[in-house]
Amino acid sequence: MITWPNFVSQLFNGLALGALLALIASGLTIIYGTLGVLNLAHGAMFMLGGYAGFAAYQASGSFVVAVVAGTLALLVVGLLMERVIVRHFYARPHEDQLLVTFGLAIVFVETVRWLFSSESKTVSPPAALAGITPLGFMMYPTYRLAVVGIVAVALLVLFLVLYRTRLGMIVRAGIEDAMMVDCLGINVDRVFMVVFGIGAMAAGFAGIVNAPIVSLTPEVGEAILVQTFVVVVIGGVGSFPGAVLGGLIAGEIISLTSMVNPGYAYVMLFAAMTLVLMIRPRGLLGAHGRE
Amino acid sequence: MGDHTSEARRAGRRQFLRTGVLLAGGLALPGLTRRVAAEDKPPIGTYPAGIQGNSVTIGIAVPRTGTYAEQGEDELKGWQLAVEHINGGHPLIREISPKTKKGVLGKELKVVVADSAAKPNDAVQAQQRFITEDKVILMTGSTSSAVAVAMNKLAQREKVLYVTGISGSNDTTGKDCVRYGFRQNFYGETAANAIGPVLLKAYGKGKKAAFMTPDYTYGHTVTKSVNDYLTKNGGWQMVTNQVSPLGAPDYSSYLTNIANSDAEILVNVNWGHDAVLSVQQAKQFGIIPRMKLVIPYQIPFLAKDVTAELTEGVYAATDFWWTLQDKYPLAKMFVEAFEKKYGYKPEWGAENAYMSFALWAEAVENAGTFYPPDVIKSYEAGRKLNSMVGEVYFRKEDHQLVRPVVIVRGKTPKQMRNKEDFWEVTEVVPGGPLMQKPDAFGCKLGDYT
Amino acid sequence: MSVDRIDSPRRPLLVAGVTAAALIAAPFVLPWLGAAPNTVNRILVWGLFGIGFDILFGYTGLLSFGQSALYGTGGFVAAYLLTRAGFPSIVAALLTGMAAAAAVGYLVGLVALRRTGIYFAMITVAIAEVFYFVEFNPLADWTGGENGLPGVPTPSVNLGFTTLHFTTGWALYPFLAFCYFVGIAIALRIVRSPVGVVLRGIRENPLRTAAVGHNVHGYKLAAFVIAAAYAGLAGGLLGVLQAFMPPEAFTFETSGQLVIQTAIGGRGMLFGPLAGAALWLFLQDFLQGPLGLGATWKLVLGLVFVVLVVFLREGILGGIRDLYRRVARRKGEEDAAGAEPAGTPTRPPAATPAPSREHAGNGFSGPIMQTISLTKHYGGVAANQAIDFSVDAGEVRGIIGPNGAGKTTFFRMLTCEVLPTAGTILFKGRDITGMDMTEVCQLGLTKSYQVNQLFNRLTVRENVTIAALAALRGKFRLDLMRRLSDISGLDGRVGHTLELVGLAGRRDTPVAQLAYGEKRRLEIGLALASSPSLLLLDEPLAGMSPTERAETVRLLKSIGQERTMIVIDHDMDSLFELAERITVLQEGRVLAEGRPADIKANTRVQEAYLGGLNGAQA
Repeated sequence: MITWPNFVSQLFNGLALGALLALIASGLTIIYGTLGVLNLAHGAMFMLGGYAGFAAYQASGSFVVAVVAGTLALLVVGLLMERVIVRHFYARPHEDQLLVTFGLAIVFVETVRWLFSSESKTVSPPAALAGITPLGFMMYPTYRLAVVGIVAVALLVLFLVLYRTRLGMIVRAGIEDAMMVDCLGINVDRVFMVVFGIGAMAAGFAGIVNAPIVSLTPEVGEAILVQTFVVVVIGGVGSFPGAVLGGLIAGEIISLTSMVNPGYAYVMLFAAMTLVLMIRPRGLLGAHGRE
Repeated sequence: MGDHTSEARRAGRRQFLRTGVLLAGGLALPGLTRRVAAEDKPPIGTYPAGIQGNSVTIGIAVPRTGTYAEQGEDELKGWQLAVEHINGGHPLIREISPKTKKGVLGKELKVVVADSAAKPNDAVQAQQRFITEDKVILMTGSTSSAVAVAMNKLAQREKVLYVTGISGSNDTTGKDCVRYGFRQNFYGETAANAIGPVLLKAYGKGKKAAFMTPDYTYGHTVTKSVNDYLTKNGGWQMVTNQVSPLGAPDYSSYLTNIANSDAEILVNVNWGHDAVLSVQQAKQFGIIPRMKLVIPYQIPFLAKDVTAELTEGVYAATDFWWTLQDKYPLAKMFVEAFEKKYGYKPEWGAENAYMSFALWAEAVENAGTFYPPDVIKSYEAGRKLNSMVGEVYFRKEDHQLVRPVVIVRGKTPKQMRNKEDFWEVTEVVPGGPLMQKPDAFGCKLGDYT
Repeated sequence: MSVDRIDSPRRPLLVAGVTAAALIAAPFVLPWLGAAPNTVNRILVWGLFGIGFDILFGYTGLLSFGQSALYGTGGFVAAYLLTRAGFPSIVAALLTGMAAAAAVGYLVGLVALRRTGIYFAMITVAIAEVFYFVEFNPLADWTGGENGLPGVPTPSVNLGFTTLHFTTGWALYPFLAFCYFVGIAIALRIVRSPVGVVLRGIRENPLRTAAVGHNVHGYKLAAFVIAAAYAGLAGGLLGVLQAFMPPEAFTFETSGQLVIQTAIGGRGMLFGPLAGAALWLFLQDFLQGPLGLGATWKLVLGLVFVVLVVFLREGILGGIRDLYRRVARRKGEEDAAGAEPAGTPTRPPAATPAPSREHAGNGFSGPIMQTISLTKHYGGVAANQAIDFSVDAGEVRGIIGPNGAGKTTFFRMLTCEVLPTAGTILFKGRDITGMDMTEVCQLGLTKSYQVNQLFNRLTVRENVTIAALAALRGKFRLDLMRRLSDISGLDGRVGHTLELVGLAGRRDTPVAQLAYGEKRRLEIGLALASSPSLLLLDEPLAGMSPTERAETVRLLKSIGQERTMIVIDHDMDSLFELAERITVLQEGRVLAEGRPADIKANTRVQEAYLGGLNGAQA
């Protein structure tokens, strides 16, 4: 029902949801922009981050340790995945790349299912952040508020890395023209590996940060994957600001549609993606000619 | 007791070859078994192929992954305990099925198990395999009513008996009923009519309620039944109905809508892991304890997963709760046997599973044969039977067991006498008056052959 | 590298015959291997579903993750007709379902095919999800929502003198096997038809396929609809097989399973999905049953899939085929001692009389190509500025200019590959500004590319065939059942083109094995095959050795006798020898125009190239 308090609440919900999507999509977009590989295992990486964090949480009891573990674990996974498998697919047609990452996604999900079983796992938020905050127009779980903040910081860190460090400059150059970067004598192999690692890390971080909200199952990455693609398409491939903008837009589409009828939220999202693809295929902030 | 898959499969294959020769003549093997020496019934479904030798096989398709995995595993334990008891002639089984000595008609029971992930497609696929390879003479497993309905149709087509696992939709013995299907547990209509008066008494009339409904027929029929009762008899008003897909990971949108409505009562029809998540998140959004939570169709392990803090004072309707052991001797026997074997007290899924097998054994023993039409008629005879909640019987018009519904209320953490003492049984409502008229939901049973 | 043969398998009836025999033998052989009838039936349904998908993905190169939408549509329409609407005939219901799926596929294709590659794949994902949601929710009254539609009856066929009842298990098998056989037979015809050839061309090089005159979008849509029809029929059969139509037919997982099975079994061979389904279902049963792995079976399957994608790119059947070919080739090499090894000096082009053409310049005189104030801006950069240009019929014109002069851009505008910012293009007096590349080719204007745009995995003959088919059949023709051999003039045209460019002896060689010079000649051959009246050549001599250069100039001279040519190149000597007039471009404008000797002596041209010693040019 559309009422003013509900509208504001859903607007806020959308912000929380969108921030998370923005982070995950950033990872996906820099991988696709630099390497040209659409990583269909990205959602599975999100899930892996959650489980790695969960395992660390079980062992240590500390949420902070869990977050660090989840992030680092995915950095390793990303580096390995690029080095061992993805690297050999750059010369192969796009479809083969899609297939191999699709296959790896299945392997990740089923491995987790084998190790952890299909039952859902809960990760509790840190005690300081558990509880409810009254926001005037409604009560809001404190942890979800915190997530907005945490993700904003992560995005800021990613921004600083991409735009203020040498590595970031090389990555952005690689997005523009990988061959040129190679010709300039920079070790493109290593750059690609690092990019994949960073992208995976973003997904993994998001996965463990999100775990206290939704609880973990091996399937948790599937829906995220599709939504993340939509974000990347809307925002523009290879564009970090595009991922952020796209994420926020997607988050708002989902939550504002939910005001009227939650069931239609994802349909609206896909409709938005199709619209963008028809009218402005390069996305809102994407570079021309990168379709 | 595990699944004897490979043995059953080898036996099945042997039987396939043997049967091909024997079916032509319709001969039965000479007496390896105590009874059933010469069956002169015509072959139908997996009969008599499935009863050659000294064992018969039951096919189970149960969710071991997915949203209902936790409940599925519990059901599986119930079936396995029942098989163990039937094969050994346990006193509890004898109370329900007095003619049982060892096994069913002297044949040992074996089971084959597959993961249905609560998907009708997977369940049907698995059971079709069981029928052709293992010649199962009984099928079971649902948890999701969609599976139950699909299995009903499969059973009717293949002419192999099917007893439901957990199935809460009105349709299973309503518009989708079949001659070859039977249901033991309570369902939407009886739950609504049992818990309705309790809610009116506890909360009064003219209340505003928010519903959370999983988007499939179980959800829709239960919500409808409950809402119909409350609005007709208590003048309640449904201010919002938040319909969510099965397996939704995040309820924030739905809960935000609910939080911004002026509901006083939250009726949550979500099940399995969806219930756990939605209740937890409702707490995070401050909806609980601001609104009173009602669970019209109880979920095994819900209280354990969300903790008693969230279920205290909550009314729920269920099939069974272990504290009934204080009142019913059969319940006591069951709870003790289950706890001894598995180390925890049984939830209603396990009880439902156990009872459905026990009742089937009774029906077969009473018929004196495995021949499906005779077994069906044995069920339909409507004998009064013993159960863990008193006397029950099958209604021949729709194959639904007429049995009481148990109303429970969540205990506060302080009131709990042990780790599993989550619920207090407030009443046991007799089933008969709760049920709709036999033809009210459009049930038309099919043919016997 | 594997080679795709247009006319393979060489004996079409043999394949169909073997398939029929295998299908007939299966119920007697397979049980001894432990296969359950229901599993075999399921494999057939997936196999049929996959035939259409293979035509879409394996043959046309369109990876769609949305086939479940069509599978479900066909299945639910058929199931609805049979359960709720009381349709009497199962076969009629199945065919209606198939038609419905094809119609829906057409509409979906209109939307999805607007983009290519990864974006196309993503749109198909979105479509799959949307369809699932719609069938589950708003349309639940028709589709039964999460319950699906139970009670689908099994087929009975009344033959007049007797009625055949197909029930379950092996009794249902003949019905499904028959459907599969019909499906395969039709598909075999389709992939060997001209349409099949064009689809392969689209897979290998969609740009070139359009450039030689085919309506690529139309063919893609046709492939999409064909895949949808197969999916719809398979969906209907699923309902019959299970006695109920599950909503799972619509899920993304279903699409994913189809993709995986096709990749595992091998794409582009029609039987791949069947093999993949057999492996998948076998593993599912075997790993869960005797090995008792339970839910981990999917992990094993995932690993197998990844391994196959990494190592066996063409899937299981492809691996078998490559092995067979390798063995056959080794034997062939031993036998053919006197055969021409790869890399022999190129054969000089034969001086053959001109073939009869429809677009020959005969009859047209005057300026065959004219541009008026043609301009192209890319953002702030003016690639071409107000170019006035005119070529007479029968002329051989050369275009030169320093790098960045805008020559290639100019050519691309002429062929309508890019849209001019301003200006007009007239071809044979007709305004072709804003037309599309395919149409322009059909009018008689083609180009050979600076960077080879060939159909790399096909043979030389197949390459030229694709171009020739456009000339003989127009830009779009849905002759799905026609045999290539039935197209009159095809062999003649292909043969003649190959002789013209001196590749007649290499006709069955895959493009990847050609020497660079040969590839360039083939490049020209593709542009020639449609008998254009105006042929544009973008740096035909680039990267060639002196000998090759001389050969090619000779070739171009002989080609130029019959038609108008415009040639861009940097090799002045060759160009001055070849062309009658030269146009010089610099920084997007016409700098000079005239006879070769005059241009050579033109000081402004010299300054443009040498960098302006007098400070006049930058």
